[in-house]
Amino acid sequence: MESASVTLGHATGDHHHGPPEANKSSKVDQTTLGLLIFLVTEAMLFGAFFASYFFLRVVVNDGPWPPEPYELPVIVAGVNTAILVSSSFSIHWALEGIRRGNRKAATLAMAVTWLLGATFLFIQLNEYIHVGFSARDGAFGSIFYGLTGLHGAHVIVGLILLTIVNVRLWRGHFGPKAEDHRGLELPGIYWHFVDVMWVIVFVTVYIL
Amino acid sequence: MPVALKQAGWWRALYGLVIGAAFGYGLVVALRAASGLPLIQTEQTGYPQLVVALITGPLGFLWGIGCFDYWLRWIAGGPTVPDDHADHGAKNWKDYFKVNTDHKVIGIQYMVLTFFFFLVGGLAAMGVRAELAQPGTQIVDPNTYNGLFSTHAAFMIFVFIIPMFAGIANYVLPLMIGAPDMAFPRLNALSFWLLPCAGALLMASYFAPGGTFDAGWTGYAPLSTGAPIGQSFFNLAVQFAGASSIATAINFLVTIVTMRAPGMNFWRMPLLVWANLSTSLLVVAATPFIAGVQFMVLFDRVLNTNFFEAAMGGDVISYQHIFWFYSHPAVYIMMLPGFGIISEVISTHARKPVFGYRLMALALIGIVVLSYSVWAHHMFVSGMSSWLRVPMMITTLLIAVPTGIKIFSWLGTLFKGKIHLQSTAMLFSLGFIFTFVIGGISGVMLGMVPLDIHVSDTYFVVAHIHFVLFGGSVFTIFAGLYHWFPKITGRMYDERLGRVHFWMTLAGMLGTFIPMHWIGLEGMPRRVADYSAEFAAWNLEITIASAILGLAQLVFVYNVVVSWKYGPKASANPWRANTIEWLVSSPPPVFNFDEIPRVVGGPYEFGVPGARHAILAGDDKATVEQPKPATVGSVGSST
Ligand code: HEM
Ligand SMILES: [Cu+2]
Repeated sequence: MESASVTLGHATGDHHHGPPEANKSSKVDQTTLGLLIFLVTEAMLFGAFFASYFFLRVVVNDGPWPPEPYELPVIVAGVNTAILVSSSFSIHWALEGIRRGNRKAATLAMAVTWLLGATFLFIQLNEYIHVGFSARDGAFGSIFYGLTGLHGAHVIVGLILLTIVNVRLWRGHFGPKAEDHRGLELPGIYWHFVDVMWVIVFVTVYIL
Repeated sequence: MPVALKQAGWWRALYGLVIGAAFGYGLVVALRAASGLPLIQTEQTGYPQLVVALITGPLGFLWGIGCFDYWLRWIAGGPTVPDDHADHGAKNWKDYFKVNTDHKVIGIQYMVLTFFFFLVGGLAAMGVRAELAQPGTQIVDPNTYNGLFSTHAAFMIFVFIIPMFAGIANYVLPLMIGAPDMAFPRLNALSFWLLPCAGALLMASYFAPGGTFDAGWTGYAPLSTGAPIGQSFFNLAVQFAGASSIATAINFLVTIVTMRAPGMNFWRMPLLVWANLSTSLLVVAATPFIAGVQFMVLFDRVLNTNFFEAAMGGDVISYQHIFWFYSHPAVYIMMLPGFGIISEVISTHARKPVFGYRLMALALIGIVVLSYSVWAHHMFVSGMSSWLRVPMMITTLLIAVPTGIKIFSWLGTLFKGKIHLQSTAMLFSLGFIFTFVIGGISGVMLGMVPLDIHVSDTYFVVAHIHFVLFGGSVFTIFAGLYHWFPKITGRMYDERLGRVHFWMTLAGMLGTFIPMHWIGLEGMPRRVADYSAEFAAWNLEITIASAILGLAQLVFVYNVVVSWKYGPKASANPWRANTIEWLVSSPPPVFNFDEIPRVVGGPYEFGVPGARHAILAGDDKATVEQPKPATVGSVGSST
């Protein structure tokens, strides 16, 4: 049998201690691709809550939205949006810094990003305390806290990632070559996602 | 720290489980104390302390068993031990109970565990049939009955069919594309270990106060939002199983895109690879919807939110929309990998190239795209906006087109082939085509609004789902398990027992599910413990046939166990198949290949003289003649 001889020839080959190097059938980095696909999943998770928002606000709601007597602090949330969006720029600055070998800029920009993110979260929590309704106050309250809370959870995860990146920067990790700063670039991609998602949440929940 | 806590394993897993659960429980109690609430809350939809413990407990288990060790060390900045591959391969049966990053070991873990869940779900089904043998209620009371059919479906769908396909693909897909492993082996291990968590939650729900969940596998609100605590077990089990399939899907996608052997362009990928590519696309984009909606149910139950509370402005029907936006694609998640298996088995055992290979691949992609546009065909009688009905009917009928293309391609492949009828894998594939066509036809009938209104929530729907899920998914699973049994175990199974298994299964399957069409058309409702006496005769017949169906699976278990231990040794390629997994020994070496093979042609060139799909490095005896010039420039024919 032909295949049997193939296997025999194969078995007498020289010995390796470990798997063979996999063939690279694509230029994209594996972890980056995995993260991007994961972000599709994340976007769809938000999609489920947006779908719920659509049904609650458009399909079954009659009367004003937000229902009386509730009001949303659009100005505060707008300022908060600006804070979060600027953190997207600062994290890009950090990435550019490390790409050009400017460790100081990277470290500074990363710390700024972390602070901006933490500020956003703080203001958000503060808003929860003063907004005047809870997740139990009608479907409006539920979906408001559902969407902003889901996003807040992502900010928390993002901040944990950024904390790790900051610590690694202080310890002198990362370098200008692409494979030497993936650990900074990937949390950055996640952070951009969290920002973009917030802009959509903000526009949907506060503006429209 | 006691030794047991340092070493990942079952002792530490037990600690982790207990500590995790106690932590979650304590956290809730402490928070409640801080907010001045009574410490323990035992409203039937509440039990927050238990619900949180049900999340943190399994996480503790996963930590204890060792799923997170590497990552935690990495995060803590500790020295990451260079991979010595000690966790590759399994030396004895005990290694299958440890965290292992070898895709072949994980594949076997998947298949064995999910088959166990198949038997558990099967037991529940036997309970359902026993109760339905006669009109009236004899064996279980209506509530228990509701629990039985709900757990039956939940086991079968969430922890058997979906992960079983993931397990089969885990084993064969990296081999098929010439990769040494999956792209993220540690994530792969985590995907597997999430499953016992999901299954254990489903089983534990039987011991919950108020009994197991009983709102069906669909868990419609407001039935589920007001149900006893068992329902929360279901909500959480779905999250664990869902996280597992999402992680696996990401793994498959990255593996397929980045790790194919040289020369394997997309049009040379075996159809099983195409099928898992399509399935994974469905999983990553659809599964978050069921995750989201189960979270909302959980919030409504535990935090008293109002997503589905109509009196407070909630929308009950939104549950169904969001649920089916996942669960219609999910029925294809449960079918497409099977389509892939059938293509492999049929072309190999009929010795013919797959008819219309490219169209087969495109049909898969077509199904993926279309399946996002048909969800509301499950909701024709739900009271949703009525203008949605006709568009959904049209898209539903459209999706039958790519499905039909696949059927005709298989028939074209079989046409004038040398069909090996003594092969059990082939028998299950032929049986699949037969039963799946019936299921497809009843599906198209259900897709038509007037007929669906007539038979909604009757046994006609039950007949449909079992023709597509048992006659479809389960038959393809068996075809796949038989086909790759020699490769996985290195032993041949007993074809005679295999044929007994097939014919008993087919007879039991037809005897059980064909009459359901008729009693359904006459109006016997589904999901009710009792029924009117006019259906008594058929129901007795159905129960008897289902017992045959159940017994048949014991033949399979016997065959597998005995053959695995005592079966004759299998050669590398007992079926004379072309794809890469058959080029290596059975079972394959620990690292699959010494060197990555080179792909020089299509995967199904049966009967084409001199055609090869792939050659192993160092195999200079093989003369490579290519019937068609390679489409990839870099692949030469000289070594
Ligand atoms: C030709 C393709 C198919 C069409 C046109 C189709 C159509 C339908 C329709 C219209 C329903 C709703 C019946 C009702 O509740 O009134 C339905 C139910 C169902 N179908 Fe299909 N189907 C097809 C293939 C499949 C496949 C391949 C699977 C799974 C492998 C599947 C699994 C199910 C399940 C599980 C249900 C019942 C859900 C429940 O519990 O209510 N179908 N199908
Ligand atoms: Cu459907």
